[in-house]
Amino acid sequence: MATDALGLYVHIPFCVRKCNYCDFCSFGLSQVDWRERYIDKLCEEILSYREKRIKLDSIFFGGGTPSLLTSAEFEKICSSIKESLVVSGDVEFTVEANPKTLSREKLLVFKASGVNRLSIGLQSTHENELKILGRIHNFEDFLESYQLARECGIENINVDLMYGIPEQTMESFGITLDRILDLSPQHISLYGLILEEGTPFYEMRDRLSLPGEDSECDMYYLATDRLSKRGYTHYEISNYSQPGKECRHNLKYWRSEEYIGVGLAAYSYYDGKRFSNGYDINVYLQNHCTNYHREYSDSDEAFEYVMLRLRLAEGFSLSDYRSRFGTDFLEGRGDLINSFVKAGYMCIKDDKISLTERGFYVSNSILTELI
Amino acid sequence: MTDRQKHIRNFSIIAHIDHGKSTLADRILEKTRTVETRDMEEQLLDNMDLERERGITIKARAVRLSYKAKNGEEYIYNLIDTPGHVDFGYEVSRSLKACEGALLVVDATQGVEAQTLANAYLAIDNDLEILPVINKIDLASADIVGARREIEDIIGIPAEDCPAVSAKNGINIEDVLEKIATDIPAPKGDIQNPLKALIFDSHYDSYLGVVVYIRVFDGMIRAGDRIRLMAQGSEFEVVEVGTMEPFGLKKADMLSAGEVGYITASIKTVGDTRVGDTVTLANNPASEPLDGFRDVHPMVYSGIYPADGARYGDLRDALEKLQLNDASLVFEPETSVALGFGFRCGFLGLLHMEIIEERLEREFNLDLITTAPSVIYKVDLRSGETIMIDNPSKFPTADEIQTAYEPIMKSTIITPTDYVGGIMDLCQERRGVFIDMKYIDTERVELHYELPLNEIIYDFFDALKSRTKGYASLDYELKGYKPSKLVKLDFMLNGDVVDALSFIVFEDRAYSRARKIAEKLKENIPRQLFEIPIQACIGSKIIARETVKAMRKDVLAKCYGGDITRKKKLLEKQKEGKKKMRKLGSVEVTPEAFMAVLRLDDGN
Repeated sequence: MATDALGLYVHIPFCVRKCNYCDFCSFGLSQVDWRERYIDKLCEEILSYREKRIKLDSIFFGGGTPSLLTSAEFEKICSSIKESLVVSGDVEFTVEANPKTLSREKLLVFKASGVNRLSIGLQSTHENELKILGRIHNFEDFLESYQLARECGIENINVDLMYGIPEQTMESFGITLDRILDLSPQHISLYGLILEEGTPFYEMRDRLSLPGEDSECDMYYLATDRLSKRGYTHYEISNYSQPGKECRHNLKYWRSEEYIGVGLAAYSYYDGKRFSNGYDINVYLQNHCTNYHREYSDSDEAFEYVMLRLRLAEGFSLSDYRSRFGTDFLEGRGDLINSFVKAGYMCIKDDKISLTERGFYVSNSILTELI
Repeated sequence: MTDRQKHIRNFSIIAHIDHGKSTLADRILEKTRTVETRDMEEQLLDNMDLERERGITIKARAVRLSYKAKNGEEYIYNLIDTPGHVDFGYEVSRSLKACEGALLVVDATQGVEAQTLANAYLAIDNDLEILPVINKIDLASADIVGARREIEDIIGIPAEDCPAVSAKNGINIEDVLEKIATDIPAPKGDIQNPLKALIFDSHYDSYLGVVVYIRVFDGMIRAGDRIRLMAQGSEFEVVEVGTMEPFGLKKADMLSAGEVGYITASIKTVGDTRVGDTVTLANNPASEPLDGFRDVHPMVYSGIYPADGARYGDLRDALEKLQLNDASLVFEPETSVALGFGFRCGFLGLLHMEIIEERLEREFNLDLITTAPSVIYKVDLRSGETIMIDNPSKFPTADEIQTAYEPIMKSTIITPTDYVGGIMDLCQERRGVFIDMKYIDTERVELHYELPLNEIIYDFFDALKSRTKGYASLDYELKGYKPSKLVKLDFMLNGDVVDALSFIVFEDRAYSRARKIAEKLKENIPRQLFEIPIQACIGSKIIARETVKAMRKDVLAKCYGGDITRKKKLLEKQKEGKKKMRKLGSVEVTPEAFMAVLRLDDGN
């Protein structure tokens, strides 16, 4: 699917209130008095690419909570995109949504602006787990939004779920899975809870009754097993989809393809360089359209290629690696890789090398050995 | 006897740990007004930080004071401090030999304890006049009458008119000072006889070289004299003589019979001067040395390695520096497959070992990995040869051994009667042989056991403490070597023997120890990508086994919004962490995990 089209990521850094585990760059609405200026800057940044004639085949509104955007704000950003960039006819256009923030009117505006994929953050179907996480919605809210989205013609829906939640049990997790499978969403993202420094969860980590490493593993394997029986492909460490419904936008990240990120804290891989806009809202708001503040990171392409590609079930092709980096990946790693293959962590088939299901779940340790 | 000699009093202060020896010394210094109170640091005699922190005196030091007694006469008091722990018993005995008297400090709330007794016996053996001093009378629980009775009943010295003081609050210190003048005899000895002086301590000074502390028994010594150290057989020329004043060294013309002082003689290391040796003049030597010289030998050995292999050179320099002032510390290079380059170090005992480790870490900023302490075993081989073993790696195979021997200690435990049963159980578990038991009074008992040193160094103090709520005290000395069924216990990770974990153990003890260490290994080795079998074995026989299961989870779930820098950083950090790991065979562990396995904290 190699194409010269890029992905566009648009960051909306605010939500109704921040969840207890979240360390992404986002602000609770009560703190935000710069909303209008931000939308203007965002559009300005999008328009700064106007001269490049960049083709897009994926757009992804992430956050934060992009579904908090008013119809007017959303349309404004979309028209900047259409003015500045060349959007392909078969674009995949995703918006992340919180169940409590969707309305029929908003969904119809999304649809009219070209949105064809909705990613709904649910995490769990259980009241107690949602409460601990600090989510603002319940399962009923989700079901309502989901039905609404279907009614409004959104045919491609992802549901975000989480395991490793305090108080979560194998049983409660199994129920969450079954309830979601009954809806047959096209795509399911399944993330393990990580206690990140600086979050309320991190502060209260000693008081949380977390399921523990073994239970988390069991949940992960339970999900993989149950989803594959229902026809989902485990195509990336944390992602499952019905055939052909893999997330095109996210695949670009994992395949080391280029993308543009706009907005606060957005990352880009463009023109062979990786850079971000930084996390400081004031700096971002003061950016001048001809001279953006950007933080470049060192690029070690072979390292990144292996690290990202091995997140995908498809892995990578040894000949592709050789043609990109001029060296043989197996050289000097033969014994190590053989031992991983023997232990069932990796598999090599013809030209392809990849992690197995077992390997996915200890991928950090394996990567640490390989790179 | 010269008039000067008549006014000299040489004495030590002896006590059980924490009975207030150092505080009493402080008050004596204060009351003799040789230093202004305000200038005085707390516990002046303990001039090492570590000593002060632990509240114990490690190395003997001496100080010269002057005191005007009630009879109007001026006296010279030489206060010779003694180390307060069983590891330094020989040094204590030499310090006492330099004295005519000893203040025996007894805590009025605790009474006579194991080291009170051991030190009192040492003083009696050295023919010292013992002056009991009852301390801590300011405390509500003080029992002065009881303490007097114990001193008389247990030690057998009169105590009805001994001073009762509070060193902390400076109460009745004057009584002690008077008693020293009236009760402790003046030193004998003849200034006309050939020089005979006892070395009771030494320390290294970067300007003066080794400063040797001596007590002159006969004759006199002055700068320029050519001296001979009789046990060593070495000769030096005296550069300087003098006395130890509270503010430092003070040069003098000479030191004569009865006096305590120092000499310097361009001596390079403290190892060249042995505590207990006799100094005489080369051209007019004494016919025989003072008796009681003994070469002290290390009793406990341990491998010391830098946690960071690159700091091997720093560790060597640090050990050399410590050795300048501590002749009883020995070390030689050693290599371990698991731990790399390090040193096998010998110590007088466990406390000595802990002190050295702590000083290396604190004063030289080293992170250390130390192997389990080992005693010295003796093995008669079938070949007829006899070898001494200070390192488990040198232990012969079973078929080479005719007889193996281990060191046995004559041990005294003093305890409140309530805990006798528990202590007897403990001693029995630790293969102790009961000798006898004496009632000190209705409340306390003195127990005598013969205990293998290898059991004592395996957490015996802590076990004793926990079974007696800290009330029992222990004292021991080497009795000799006894045949024993000894085996070497090895540990294998992934099928490879990890040399640094091997130790020598009494055969019947091997199974429980093997199980315990195997469990600890299992707890402390982080899960890795592959399952790790842990096996404990004697020779080729496996006696315990555990498994570290393979890791199941190590994954970063999300790469959000195209931010790959976070994951990269995480992996780089993980990779960096791996560099600090020690390879035990094919298994990687952190130095902390290794130390946790060797920590002897099980209490049984």
